Amino acid sequence: MKQITVSNVDKIYNSTKENAFYALKQISFEIEAGEIVILKGVSGSGKSTLLSLIGGLSKPSSGDIIVEGETIAKLPDRLASLYRYERVGFIFQSFNLLNGLNVYQNVTAPLMLSEWSASQREEKIDRALQIANIAHKKKQKVSDLSGGEKQRCAIARALVMDPPIILADEPTANLDTHNSLMFIEILKTFKAMGKTVLIATHDVLFEESDVIDRCIRMKDGEIVS
Amino acid sequence: MSIFLSHEIVVFLVIEVILLVLMSIAQANIVVILRYWDFEASSALQYRLEKKNYLINTILYFTVATKIILFLFFVQSLNSLSGVVPGAMCSAGVVGANVYGNLLLLVKLWLIFGFGLWLIVNKLDLAAVDFPYLRRKYWLYTFLFVGVVLEFFLEIAYFGDIPLNVPVFCCSVVFQAPKLPFGYTQEFLVSLFYGLFVAIAVLNVLKNAMASFICNVLFLFVAYYAITYFFGLYVYEMPNHKCPYCMLQKEYYYIGYAIWGTLFLGIFFGMMPFLIELITKKPHLRLLKFSTFYLSLMTAICTFYVVRYYVMTGVFL
Repeated sequence: MKQITVSNVDKIYNSTKENAFYALKQISFEIEAGEIVILKGVSGSGKSTLLSLIGGLSKPSSGDIIVEGETIAKLPDRLASLYRYERVGFIFQSFNLLNGLNVYQNVTAPLMLSEWSASQREEKIDRALQIANIAHKKKQKVSDLSGGEKQRCAIARALVMDPPIILADEPTANLDTHNSLMFIEILKTFKAMGKTVLIATHDVLFEESDVIDRCIRMKDGEIVS
Repeated sequence: MSIFLSHEIVVFLVIEVILLVLMSIAQANIVVILRYWDFEASSALQYRLEKKNYLINTILYFTVATKIILFLFFVQSLNSLSGVVPGAMCSAGVVGANVYGNLLLLVKLWLIFGFGLWLIVNKLDLAAVDFPYLRRKYWLYTFLFVGVVLEFFLEIAYFGDIPLNVPVFCCSVVFQAPKLPFGYTQEFLVSLFYGLFVAIAVLNVLKNAMASFICNVLFLFVAYYAITYFFGLYVYEMPNHKCPYCMLQKEYYYIGYAIWGTLFLGIFFGMMPFLIELITKKPHLRLLKFSTFYLSLMTAICTFYVVRYYVMTGVFL
């Protein structure tokens, strides 16, 4: 079943001016449910822009993005927020955690707007912390964690709402090889859970891993292979 | 001295000019949207129009809401101008100072109702994914925009023509007519007022939007005359003081704002379900309960003055 369909997407900055910049040019591809796909390319090739469009963080200049049958590109802001909240988990290169809070509080943050009972929330938090292998540090302040632990905390936060889609932007760029391999191990759990994962990266470790289903190569805003 | 040197008028007109400029910018963009909008398309033009749509909605939400608030300021300004215009003791003298006053007030009321309708349709449009009422809401706005331009020219003509050297007639003369309009008797007018109020309340319970709309339109006129020619007498406690404006003044504890405010809100919510259904083709009947609430409040306030006077004096005026 096709979960994400991107067709003829352009993203142009300053489109009405002389210095118009094409961040994405006629991008088209499809991703099946449960697939783990990497977007590979050098810095400035349009990977992050593409992730932000699929994540409903910004809108294309033209073209369609359809997720689970819904046209994401045309969602009003209010519904785009709801889409991000319920259906997408984000993992960022710089983790984007709340440093003044501990691991547990960071992971709890997305649930604050939910209508689940306290016991249901606890269950979800415990599960996310276990999957990300960070449960043993849940009372520790984020600012005291290592890079790898921060990333695992970010993974737990992305998972706590149990979204069907995970988008990761350069998730191993700030990690050493050991922690990068740990991240790739966690991807296997994602696969077992049936999550659809899209990772923007230029880390060669991903290509060597058998957990990756497909690699989309990008250059200057275009898909090259 | 020119009336344009009055603080209230300067502030009022400056805000009106700013709003008119913003509304004109919105209108220019609306023309493009109405011409090229195709929600099904994923072309660069359509995405640009969708972005523009959000911008226009923000501008219009701000300007339309400000216009409604500005109406209250306008009413208050008319009251305060009665101290500047010779012969005027309340807004009646100021409004009737030239031929444009009453027309301007009517246009403003019509626009307030129109903008209220526009805000509701806009809210319904933004709540859906595919902007189902976009075209209809922008056509409605275009219609109202013509009214806004007319209103602005009327304002300039009205304020520019208020005589400051010649005394004007005020409510003591304007509303002094001993007979009620259309030859009605006071008893008939009051019976019609209470009868229509009960009819609206019943129709609102039965959720009959069309019948409620018709009764509300009738009630607007009947209530205007009933408040001016009957209930007003008890507010002023004077048998010959027939003025819709004096009750807005401090001497009467600004009760006019409560009476006219609740009347217009009640009528507005009573008329809207039918009009919204005309535009959206879907029923929105929950507004009817607000109509009942505000009209009941207005009737209670009016009745209170009559009962209080009777209890105090043992007679009716």
